[in-house]
Amino acid sequence: MMRLHLVKTLVIVAVVLAMWEAIVRFGVASQIILAAPSDIVLAAVKDGGVFLRAFATTMIEIGAAILLASTLGIVVGVVVGSSHTLAAATAPFLSSIFAIPLIVLYPLLMAWLGIGPLSKIVFGVLSGFFPIALNTIDGVRAIEQRYFVFARSIGATSLQTYARIVFPMALPAVVSGLRVGTGLVVIGVVVTEMLASLGGIGFLISYHRTLFDTGHVYFGMMLALTMAVAVNIGITWLDRRLALWRMLEQAEG
Amino acid sequence: MPIIEVSKLAKDFNAGRAVLRALADVSFSVEEGRFVTLVGPSGCGKSTLLQILAGLIGATSGQVLIEGKRISAPMPDKIGMVFQDPTLLPWKTALANVEFPLDLRGVDRTLRRSRCSALLDLVGLSEFADHYPHELSGGMRQRVAIARGLAQDPRLILMDEPFAALDEQTRTRMGHELLDIWQKTGKTVFFITHSLTEAIYLSDVVLVMSPRPGRIIETIAIDFPRPRELDMIGSEAFGRIRNRIWHLIAEAQV
Amino acid sequence: MVNDGGGQDPAMGAALAGYLTFAVVLLGGWELTAQLALVDRDLLPPLSEVCAILWRFLHDPRFISDLGLTAGEVAIAFLIAAPLAISTGFLLGERLHLAETFNPVVHFVLAVPQSIFLPVFILAFGIGFFEKVLFGITHAYFVILLNSFAAVRSIPRPLVAAARVFGATRAQIYTRIYLPAMLPLILTGLRLGMILCIIGVLLAEMYASRRGIGRLIFTWGEGYQVPELLAGIVLVSVLTITVNEAMRLAELHVSRFYARASTA
Repeated sequence: MMRLHLVKTLVIVAVVLAMWEAIVRFGVASQIILAAPSDIVLAAVKDGGVFLRAFATTMIEIGAAILLASTLGIVVGVVVGSSHTLAAATAPFLSSIFAIPLIVLYPLLMAWLGIGPLSKIVFGVLSGFFPIALNTIDGVRAIEQRYFVFARSIGATSLQTYARIVFPMALPAVVSGLRVGTGLVVIGVVVTEMLASLGGIGFLISYHRTLFDTGHVYFGMMLALTMAVAVNIGITWLDRRLALWRMLEQAEG
Repeated sequence: MPIIEVSKLAKDFNAGRAVLRALADVSFSVEEGRFVTLVGPSGCGKSTLLQILAGLIGATSGQVLIEGKRISAPMPDKIGMVFQDPTLLPWKTALANVEFPLDLRGVDRTLRRSRCSALLDLVGLSEFADHYPHELSGGMRQRVAIARGLAQDPRLILMDEPFAALDEQTRTRMGHELLDIWQKTGKTVFFITHSLTEAIYLSDVVLVMSPRPGRIIETIAIDFPRPRELDMIGSEAFGRIRNRIWHLIAEAQV
Repeated sequence: MVNDGGGQDPAMGAALAGYLTFAVVLLGGWELTAQLALVDRDLLPPLSEVCAILWRFLHDPRFISDLGLTAGEVAIAFLIAAPLAISTGFLLGERLHLAETFNPVVHFVLAVPQSIFLPVFILAFGIGFFEKVLFGITHAYFVILLNSFAAVRSIPRPLVAAARVFGATRAQIYTRIYLPAMLPLILTGLRLGMILCIIGVLLAEMYASRRGIGRLIFTWGEGYQVPELLAGIVLVSVLTITVNEAMRLAELHVSRFYARASTA
């Protein structure tokens, strides 16, 4: 049964690839705009090593930015969300800043930090920070007062209250913030690499575009998309691991 | 020495520019091992009084002594609390919830486990130790909360309308079981409710509170024999006490 | 003062206070740090100097024309994308069978980061005015579409049924029930679409353009011209925040107005 399903899928994929190849080869679509599958494979074979190194560079930048953005975002989110006045005062300001197209700050980072990985990482952190912080604030604020009263009644310290009660309760909101935030980090890093960089996938994509190596461009894009998908899958895994939040959904029913 | 001693307690709240007097000149004492209920109309300040007793909020004036000491902050090893909402942690099992206060204190795991399993057994939920709150009924969740309140082995249990959110059948049954637990553990219970029936059925002493600003109008000793039977609720004596309390509150409302 | 929305006022007071505090701290800190030369003056020129430069720019016709170009691209992209997306969203919302076919496509596109496609986009379409507008359109379109779809789905069906029973005409149903119910979500979608549109246009300009604010800012960045760069950033920030807040105010006003109207 499974075998048949697999075969069917493979056949469909093969047909699509063949059609795709035909469309380009027979000039229906310009070879400059759409790369044929064979061109992509060629690019992979020819410069696979270069691309792999670039992939690694970009992934490291993304990883570092995600780590920093998450930590900062969650900490700020928990701190601000815990105080009603602080939250009311800060949240509007944060969401206003969120409206600024961050890309416009990148040239500043370029001037200050150069065009190496550091400026990308900082930009990534900026991109990811806001949705993570804002969602965490919402998550913490949604926690009903009675849990705080309960925590005090059993003599929990502030640290215990936050680590053992507040944080787990806010987790669903934090995770959805992470999903958006990490996505923005990936985009931010790749796009800034495209604009001005010494290396990385974005840089290669841009570079090959100027040479009209469409096969290379598409190969690079596929790698970039793979990164985005990989990060998304990572968050989903995290989400499932924290299965507690499913119980949270049903608990207060 | 009474386990609770309250004298001339007053509590004011600031609400914008106005000052709200929630409690005015409340005085009473509770002997150890007794089941005492505070009854009064909604908004009379019962919960406020309980929060002061628990050390969660401070008094404006007057004195509160728990086990002879002034209370200024929660004393979890002396006072256990059960709230109207069980406030269980949804991601923890029933047993883990009961263990939670001890967990925070760093109590040794084996000791924790054995003590809390015994407590769950006491409230009749040992079969449900590994169940999550969302798998339990309202009454069961409240029983877990009661077990949790007993976890640190306090001498005094404060209960803030714990059965108010339950349906009548469950509520009556829970009251009956609570008496059973009380008798087995020998704790002092300070119970708050606005149900006169519940108050009289459960307690040794009923403190009747006036509407806001709350003060104790009357202290009524309930002399029915223990263990209490449910059908005493329909008796004439019961009805008389009930009417008396009802009138006291109604008159204080004027 | 009448106290009908009284509960809001303390929160709004705190928000305003917070806003002002942060703004003062941020801008004041900037000025102070720069004046005291705590950081290299080349890296962080004082706010006052930046504002002076900005003031000069605003009187420079060439700068204004660049600004106008970008604004024009954004405006046109938005004005094309918005009606298209709203009508598509409406159509899909009303004809759910169509929605089922297109749903995976839309979600796939949204899941995929569009900005990354810029190089391919440029390969395909080049780097002219209309290409930048098109890029902006693609950014705005899907968000507005999704929100419009949700807006249509959010209309309480019982209300529509009741209106029909009372003999309301099609036009009346659309204007009296559909419109007010959909407005808040559509406005949110428009606001988000505008933000994304601006991002898309600026990105395209920075990447491959000869004119426009985006290109100017990027050039200054490449040339380490920090004061000019900061002037550009300040201008763009102020403009985008203004647009965002204006649209948000409209959202708020509409939802309050219609909420009150519907409970009447």
